[in-house]
Amino acid sequence: MRKFMGLTRRNLLIYFKDVQSVIFSMLTSIIVLALYLLFLKDTFVDSIEGAMQGLKQLVDMADVDMLANGLLLVGILSSAMITVPYNCLVTIVKDRECKIDYDISATPMKRWQIILSYFTASTISSIVMAALLLTVGMGFLASRGELYLTAGSIAAMYGIVLLGAVSSTALFMLVVLFFQSSSASSAFFGMLSAAAGFVIGAYIPISQFSSPVQTFCNLFPASGITVMFRSALLDGLLGHIDQEIGGVDQGMFVESLKEVFSFRTRLFGDELSLNWTVGYVLALVAVCVAAMALIYPKIYKRK
Amino acid sequence: MYAIEVEHLVKKYKEHLAVNDISFGVREGELFAFLGENGAGKSTTINILCTILKKTSGSVSIFGKELGKQDDAIRDMIGIVFQNSVLDGKLTVKENLFTRGSYYGMSKSRIQEQLSPFMEAFELDEIWNRRYERLSGGQRRRVDIVRALIHAPRILFLDEPTTGLDPMSRKLVWNYISYLRKNRGITIFLTTHYMEETRDADNVVILDQGRIVAADTPVGLKSRYTSTKLIWYTGQSAQAEQLLAGRDFSYEADHYAIPMEAEITEFLYQHRHMIQDYEVVKGSMDDVFLKLTGKELAS
Repeated sequence: MRKFMGLTRRNLLIYFKDVQSVIFSMLTSIIVLALYLLFLKDTFVDSIEGAMQGLKQLVDMADVDMLANGLLLVGILSSAMITVPYNCLVTIVKDRECKIDYDISATPMKRWQIILSYFTASTISSIVMAALLLTVGMGFLASRGELYLTAGSIAAMYGIVLLGAVSSTALFMLVVLFFQSSSASSAFFGMLSAAAGFVIGAYIPISQFSSPVQTFCNLFPASGITVMFRSALLDGLLGHIDQEIGGVDQGMFVESLKEVFSFRTRLFGDELSLNWTVGYVLALVAVCVAAMALIYPKIYKRK
Repeated sequence: MYAIEVEHLVKKYKEHLAVNDISFGVREGELFAFLGENGAGKSTTINILCTILKKTSGSVSIFGKELGKQDDAIRDMIGIVFQNSVLDGKLTVKENLFTRGSYYGMSKSRIQEQLSPFMEAFELDEIWNRRYERLSGGQRRRVDIVRALIHAPRILFLDEPTTGLDPMSRKLVWNYISYLRKNRGITIFLTTHYMEETRDADNVVILDQGRIVAADTPVGLKSRYTSTKLIWYTGQSAQAEQLLAGRDFSYEADHYAIPMEAEITEFLYQHRHMIQDYEVVKGSMDDVFLKLTGKELAS
């Protein structure tokens, strides 16, 4: 256990002691925030207002503002859940490139301990960063107004952080095996940063894409995690807005918001319930872990 | 007792034979040197002995533990200083050493205890809290050696430990190696392509294209494969060559080189009026290597 803990600690230190790496791992989140401040918020608010025809008198604009802010927080959180674990797992590529894995392999550590320590360190780093963002973000939103969160939904948010960290790490543990050099993995990170915001619908709601593109985006566990975040963070607020409207629209306005801002996962034209989305993400984790169990021992096998 | 016993070791990568049927033994406490140019198979052999690479065939035992069957026991007994640094640049010396110690299941207090004799001997105090990436080449090598010793191994493998270091740092690294031999009685297995580094070795194996071409003590190798030369500084002349008639000699730039052995003193005395500017040069490991492989190494 001490051996496993030692390597995990080393992997954590490598990520957290490199300030630049920490900042770059949050690049997409920073871009999402910057775009939000520049124009995304206005776009979101305008599109919500556009859907409010006849209901403007009934809906408090402060709630609309909070809804847009909540969507921003979800975008920041979800993109961090993609880029942080990837950045941590680049350590595997660097260790192989610099033959640090030789040094580790020449110790009495078991191969599974080595693999698990990379997985654990990445998961912990992602949880720490996302939990920090979530706590600060919720604190900020709470200072600006009411989010109508229950203790259960707050707990669910942290649970989703855990699931998001595990699922992204499981997927990226396989992805990093394709890279032989840190320059190749950095180039991929550039593409990942650019694509992440679209895949989770941070820039444009996924519902705006065609059905095949929606399916493609939702194949990634991060999309499912984003849907879970949206529901956990904003269902209370949407429920409150629905109450404000008082049934005049028979719940249509809130339903249309959920449709537009992708509160449900759509795969191959079908809508998945939240439970099915959780099941899908868990199934993906299981597939990735099984693939890791098959592939990694071969990678770390003596040649 | 043999610390390392290697019998008919072979390592093949597809069609390339990196290590070609080598056998040797390293006695406990000795400094054993593997000499060869780049690509001779030195690092491959070390990586096999250190359980990193798999052997194709042959047998290896380390303090009686069989490679391939008792690898974990072997890993506890060996420490390695790799050719390239394998410590983490962003971490401090302290963090690097404590995390590496934990890979062997050592507690913090045990690591501290194990490190304490090295703090002074390897001057770690001054760099203890500095990031590894900010150390000089010599300081890094110092930390690399301590990292390899952190779990008190019985054998220290040094894979070209002085490559890329300036002369001063090389000298310091050798001081540390001497310290380890004197104070710890540790077995040292060294690979190098620097000739002079094999001078203090108890035994030297010369490797060429994966094969052992010679194995002996440095003195034994020199006496078997080189001869002492009399270097006579003089202009090339018929008179001088008449004096050297019947001997195997050559003229290079400004001197005659005449291979000689025991008769050298008598020869010099006999011709003392004519031979006044001279030196006696003993055979070097360079000459041994050149003779055995036809190639020259870095000096």
